[in-house]
Amino acid sequence: MSSSESHPRFGQSVKGLLSDKVGSCSGDVIALTRQVLKGSRSQELLSQAARNMVIQEDAILHSEDSLRKMSIITTHLQYQQEAIQKNVEHSKNLQDQLTHLLK
Amino acid sequence: MAATGDDAAAMDSISRAPTTHSAALNPAGTSSGQGECPVDATEAAACAPKRPHTNSDGGVETAEEAVEPAEPDINELCTDMFEKMAIFLQGELTGTCEDYRLLENMNKLTSLKYMEMKDISINISRNLQDLNNKYASLQPYLDQINQIEEQVSALEQAAYKLDAYSKKLEARFKKLEKR
Repeated sequence: MSSSESHPRFGQSVKGLLSDKVGSCSGDVIALTRQVLKGSRSQELLSQAARNMVIQEDAILHSEDSLRKMSIITTHLQYQQEAIQKNVEHSKNLQDQLTHLLK
Repeated sequence: MAATGDDAAAMDSISRAPTTHSAALNPAGTSSGQGECPVDATEAAACAPKRPHTNSDGGVETAEEAVEPAEPDINELCTDMFEKMAIFLQGELTGTCEDYRLLENMNKLTSLKYMEMKDISINISRNLQDLNNKYASLQPYLDQINQIEEQVSALEQAAYKLDAYSKKLEARFKKLEKR
């Protein structure tokens, strides 16, 4: 029977050709995968996005710190307002006394 | 006998099944030329003669298709090769997936942080609105305080005038007393 293999090379057996072909196909698949990944530029874009987010993190932490301080200051203002409210109720008596004095 | 053996061998190369079937049906019909190959159908396939003898066709070396069954370890090696290739390709793609997961986690944490900040901001806004309302309700009292401050200033002026008048009176009294 004649050989059914195509393009037999001189001095190479069928097994050798087959193993070469399998190796080249594997390499092609691997190269294709790498090219697909490289062409999508996903690695660059994602690493750039992660870097930008790390840069922004400092600003975010600072903003959170400022907000917490504002909340504490607001609480202090509330305490002061309650103290003022308590003391301002005496002013009516004071005013009556002064009006009486200045008559 | 030899011709019969050659013809049977030729039949083998064309199709194996009819040969084994015929061999199974006619065990007695096998000649001595086929004494090498047993009658059993399963063994006929196992001991089919190897055919990879080369033919020279116009100076080009060719080979024939191997008809013997593959060695048992070849299948294992092939399976192992494809499994490892699959693992490698999966590893190549997993890198990008992990980058996406990292970004997803960072975004989730940042969104949690922003939600906390939103809650704090809402609290601050509500508290400041209450404070503004309370300070607005204090306004009449603050006006009273302003009036009190004016009245106290007027009282102070009156006290200075009284003090000056009383000093004048004291000086006149002392003058009259000396006379």
